[in-house]
Amino acid sequence: MSETDDTQQQESTDDSSMALIVRVDAYDQVITPLAYAYLGSAVYDEVNVLFVNWAVRLLSEDGLEDRLSPASADRGMTLEEVKASVEAGGFPPELDQIVAELGAADEVNLYGCSRAARVFDVPEEKLIPEADGIEGATWFLTEKAETADLFLQF
Amino acid sequence: MSKEFDIADSLDVKGASCPMPVVRTKQAIDDLAADEVLEVVATDSGSMSDIEGWADGTDGVELLAQEEGDGVYKHYVKKLE
Repeated sequence: MSETDDTQQQESTDDSSMALIVRVDAYDQVITPLAYAYLGSAVYDEVNVLFVNWAVRLLSEDGLEDRLSPASADRGMTLEEVKASVEAGGFPPELDQIVAELGAADEVNLYGCSRAARVFDVPEEKLIPEADGIEGATWFLTEKAETADLFLQF
Repeated sequence: MSKEFDIADSLDVKGASCPMPVVRTKQAIDDLAADEVLEVVATDSGSMSDIEGWADGTDGVELLAQEEGDGVYKHYVKKLE
C-alpha cells in the first residue's frame, strides 16, 4: 500500500458512523429508531440503516400501513393522538415524510434487507428515490454494523 | 446579561423535543462561517445536556454558554475553523 493509500485509509477510518437495524413497523414503535437516525445524522459522519421484515416497506413507494402497536392501542391511544404529539415535538408526523427527509440527508443511507424485500414485496423498481438500495444482511453486518462506532437494533 | 460574543444567527426551536433541537442546531451550524456564533432558543429541558454532549463530541464546534430561565433554554454555539 502506498503512502497516499495509507493516508486515505486513515482518513476513512477516522469517520465516525452509526448503524441501525429496524424491524419494528408499528407507527408508535418505528418513530423511535427514525428519531435516533435523525440524531445520528447530527452526531456521526455517516448513519446506515437497514430495514428488515415489514419495516422494509418504509422504503417502498407503496409505503407502510399506519397502525399502532397493541401496547399503545391497549392503552387507549389513537393514531391521530400519537401523530399530533409527534408533530408538536417538531417531527414530521407522516412516516413517508420522515423517511424522505432522512434519506435526503448526505450523512444518512437507507437500505432494505434483500430477504425482507422479497418476502414483503419491495422490488428495486418500487423503492423510493431516497433509498440507497436493497442489500444483503451479511454485507450490512460486516461492512456497516461491524465497523460502526455505535450499533443499535430496534 | 451582556454577551462577550456577537450572535450571527438565532435558531428558534421552542416546542421541539428531542432530537430536533440538536438536529436543527447541527443544520444551522453548517450554514455559518467559521468563528460565527449561533444562538439556539429551546423549551425542551433535555436540550441542555443534549447540546452540551453534542458539542463535546463534535469537531468544529464549541459551546460558549448556556442559560435557562422561565422555561426557555438558550445555547450559544460557535463554529470553529
